Amino acid sequence: MRRALVAISLLALTLPSQALARGEFDPTTEFEQHEWVPIHLGPLDLSITKAVVYLMLGSLLTMALGIILMRWRLNVEPGTRQTFGETIYDVAQSQIAEQGLPSKAIGLWFPYVASLFLFIFVVNLIGFIPLPLTGETWHGFPVWGIYAATSSISVTLALAALTFVFTHFEGVRWNGPVRYFKSWIPDAPKPLLVLIVPLEVLGQIMRLISLSVRLFANMLAGHILILTFIGLMFILETVILAPFVITVATAFYIFEVVIVVGIQAFIFATLSAIYIGSAIEPQH
Amino acid sequence: MLATILAATSGDVTKAGKAIGLALGVGLGAAGAGVGIGLIFSSMIQSVARQPELRGELTGIQWLGFALTEAVVFYGLLGSILAFVLV
Repeated sequence: MRRALVAISLLALTLPSQALARGEFDPTTEFEQHEWVPIHLGPLDLSITKAVVYLMLGSLLTMALGIILMRWRLNVEPGTRQTFGETIYDVAQSQIAEQGLPSKAIGLWFPYVASLFLFIFVVNLIGFIPLPLTGETWHGFPVWGIYAATSSISVTLALAALTFVFTHFEGVRWNGPVRYFKSWIPDAPKPLLVLIVPLEVLGQIMRLISLSVRLFANMLAGHILILTFIGLMFILETVILAPFVITVATAFYIFEVVIVVGIQAFIFATLSAIYIGSAIEPQH
Repeated sequence: MLATILAATSGDVTKAGKAIGLALGVGLGAAGAGVGIGLIFSSMIQSVARQPELRGELTGIQWLGFALTEAVVFYGLLGSILAFVLV
C-alpha cells in the first residue's frame, strides 16, 4: 500500500500533461502568482493567490498535526502516533530551543520556535506533494503540480521579520534599552569603533536578509532544478532523454524531501532561537 | 584576436554576456560551498573516528554548519539572477 502510494506520487510528478498543454516549457512560469480572489483594501493587496492557498493549507495541517500527535488521546503507555509526536517535541526542545534560548526564557519562547519549526516543515513538505492547485485546466481536469509557498520571498521575509522584531523587543525588555544597545559595542580601541559599530548594525540587518534568503532560495532552487530536468525533454523535444531526466529529477526530489525540507525548517527555528537568546543574554 | 571575434559575431552579444554572468556566479558560488561542505563532513568523520561517543551532539552542529555553508550557493545564485534580470 505504502509502496504503491510512493509509486503513484512519483508517476504523477513525471506526467508531462502541463508542459504538453502549454506547448512551450518555461519553469519560471510555475512561480507566477495569479489573483484567484482579488481583495484590494486601498493600497493594500490582500488577494488570495496560489501561495496564500498553500499557506492556509499549511497552517491547517500544522494545527491538525499538533492536535492529533500531541494533544489527542494521550496514554501513559504511548502508541506509535504518540511516540512520533513525542519525538518531534523532543527534537524541538532539546535540539532547537535549548541550543539558543537561556533557561529563564525557554518557557516563554519555546512555543514560538517549535511552531516555527513545525510550520516551515509542513509548508516545505506540501510543496513537494503534487496537488491540483496550479490554477490551470487541461481538457477540463485541473492540472497537478508542485509549488512551495516558502519559495516566495514575501513569505520567508515575513517570518524572518517576526524573528527580527521579537529579538530586539526581547533584548530591550530584559536588559533595558541602554544596556541592550551598549552590548552591540564590542571592546576595541576607540578609533576602531567608528568602523566596527556600523558593521555591527549592518550585521543585525543582514541577519534578516540571510534568514529569509536562505529558506527562499533553497526551496526555489530545488523546485527549479526538478522542473528543469523534466522540462529538458520538452525543450529538446525528444523522448529518448526520458530515462535519464526522470532518474536525475527523482534523485533530486528524494534529496530535497529527505534532507533539505527538514534541515531548512530546523535551521530557521534554531537560528531564531539563537538570535532571541543572544538578545536576552548579551555577551558583554 | 578579440577584434576579429567581435567582428565575426552577429546578433545579441548582451544576451551572451548575461548568460556567462549567470553561469559564472552560480558556478563560483557552488565551488566555494563545495569546499566548505567537504571540510565540514571531513572534520565530522575525523571527530567521530576519534570520539565515537560524541556523535549525537556533533550531528546537530554538523547539519547547522552544512545548511549555513550550503546557503552560500544561493547568495551567489540570487546575485547572478539579479544581474541577469536588472542589466
